[in-house]
Amino acid sequence: MKQLVAYITSGFPDKNFSIDVALSLKESGADMLELGIPFSDPVADGPIIEAANLKALQNGFSLNTVFDISQAISKNIDTLWMGYFNPFYHKGFDFMAKKAQDLGVSGFIIPDLPHEETLPYLSTAKEHNVALVSFVAPTDSKERIEKIIKNAQKFIYLVAYAGITGSGTSEDLTQTIGYIKEVSKTPLFVGFGVNAKTAQEKAKGVDGVIVGSAFVEILLDGTLKNGEKITKISSLAKEIKEKINS
Amino acid sequence: MYIPRISKFDPDQNGHFGKFGGKFVPETLMPVLEELEKEYAKVRFDQDFWSDVEKYFKDYVGRPSALYHAKNISEELGAKIYLKREDLNHTGAHKVNNTISQGLLAKRMGKKRVIAETGAGQHGVATATVAALLGLECEVFMGEKDVQRQELNVFRMKLLGAKVHSVKSGSKTLKDAMNEAIRYWVTHARDTFYIIGTVAGPHPYPMMVRDFQAVIGYEIKGQILSKEARMPDFIVACIGGGSNAIGTFSHFLEEEGVTCIGIEAGGLGTDTKKHGASLEKGSPGVLHGQMSYLLQDEDGQILEAHSISAGLDYPGIGPEHAFLKDEGVVKYASITDKEALDAFVWLSQKEGIIPAFESSHALAYVRKMPKEEIKNKLIVITVSGRGDKDMIQAKSLLKFD
Repeated sequence: MKQLVAYITSGFPDKNFSIDVALSLKESGADMLELGIPFSDPVADGPIIEAANLKALQNGFSLNTVFDISQAISKNIDTLWMGYFNPFYHKGFDFMAKKAQDLGVSGFIIPDLPHEETLPYLSTAKEHNVALVSFVAPTDSKERIEKIIKNAQKFIYLVAYAGITGSGTSEDLTQTIGYIKEVSKTPLFVGFGVNAKTAQEKAKGVDGVIVGSAFVEILLDGTLKNGEKITKISSLAKEIKEKINS
Repeated sequence: MYIPRISKFDPDQNGHFGKFGGKFVPETLMPVLEELEKEYAKVRFDQDFWSDVEKYFKDYVGRPSALYHAKNISEELGAKIYLKREDLNHTGAHKVNNTISQGLLAKRMGKKRVIAETGAGQHGVATATVAALLGLECEVFMGEKDVQRQELNVFRMKLLGAKVHSVKSGSKTLKDAMNEAIRYWVTHARDTFYIIGTVAGPHPYPMMVRDFQAVIGYEIKGQILSKEARMPDFIVACIGGGSNAIGTFSHFLEEEGVTCIGIEAGGLGTDTKKHGASLEKGSPGVLHGQMSYLLQDEDGQILEAHSISAGLDYPGIGPEHAFLKDEGVVKYASITDKEALDAFVWLSQKEGIIPAFESSHALAYVRKMPKEEIKNKLIVITVSGRGDKDMIQAKSLLKFD
């Protein structure tokens, strides 16, 4: 069965709501949860996730928010932290890895920490049983792919197109997927621009999809009440899970 | 002819200056940076490339820029002061040294489009200029707040044929313009060349831009030796991202007896929250592709900078400066908005040279140095740009009868 990884921006609009959304995503078929750590300068993100990041910060998000949410949900759903490197570095990578282990968080997804820059942190991550998820992009050559996914952990994050999250672009990934499958048996998930319309197509040849902007767009919708948001997010998760497996 | 040389302060293979620098970018850009590194390695010491650069430097930019003995302020301060006149360059600042060189590199790599971020608009204008010259498409990203306060430069860019994107996110200034330029770059990674305006960003930019700007210090060395037959005692330059400063210092870092001093934006004072002094008040962190000193809060969120000068209004700094600070090779200090504004008027009225607000910081520092420390000393100050772009802002701040 192909897997669904769901991303939500932590603490948007508040901590308790994030917990409710996470748990209902689990019930609706999500296999893993990426808890986004808001950052002031999210350069890999499109306008939807950027807006959620900035609003969460305006609402007084602090790292404690993500710690509390993790504690509340990690027994129910496999939880990872997704965020830009600076908060990890500033707090201390050791501190964050230990904290993750204590809170039952299984991995970090850090989009601005490419392979070469992860090297100093691998042993600490391993010591605390935290996976550092490797990214592959469609601009990568076969040689580079071999180098960067040799020791891939948990899953490989294939970026669906050259661009930022939540855009409507698409690229033919057949060749890139082929290169990855030649060298690694680690599950391969595709992310960026995955929604109800694109999920089935994007899931071709891979082991799962990562969905972020499509969920966050619902979180941002000011016309919906919190309960309605949860209903909508749940039915979207179910729909995507069904489509990738049909 | 100016050609870069291998320096003791070159970064390592992965672009690290000590713990600073590096390549902290989304994976999509890694192959693009690798390609750029390879291409730059080919031209870094290549006679043909640099003779091409020199033709433009000489006949288009107007290099070498003059080293002017400023007699009136020398007399007042009791030191012998020379001004390196980057303000006389075509487009009015040192920025064009970098954009010409990167533009030629982009052309060589077969790129059809260049993009740039800009704060005050100087780098945007210099990029738009070079794009017009070399027949490249040009798109410039500028924070909405800067678009409003630098209206004239926005018009200049448009006149030169560039498209200007007004960036509405975050603090709507240089930091956010750079975020948006990076987003555009990731999206158009295959055919777009990003002309970064300062010695910041992912490797190889900090080294490459330093090489392009080091023509400043290379010229100063020749000029001061022919005028004074000795090395200066102090060399002073202002720092936002740090390109005119590193360009000024780099040929003197290994000279004994020369003290290089970089001046950050002190804003309303470094004991307030309104300044741009990343080295003095920041801590190491990662932003815009590099590790360096940053203004940030306890959770590692980036703070907004403040300066009277839009060109220094940035919460980070080039990684080589971070390294040089920690190694104690260069001395760093800051100057407030008010001190800079006073020096702006001072130089205008004493020497008939209207400096940019940015450069006024360097001038203000020398003006403030203890008299006994500078007595009979030989000092070079880089005037990184001219003040024309600051006229509207200056008019609202200054009252003359």
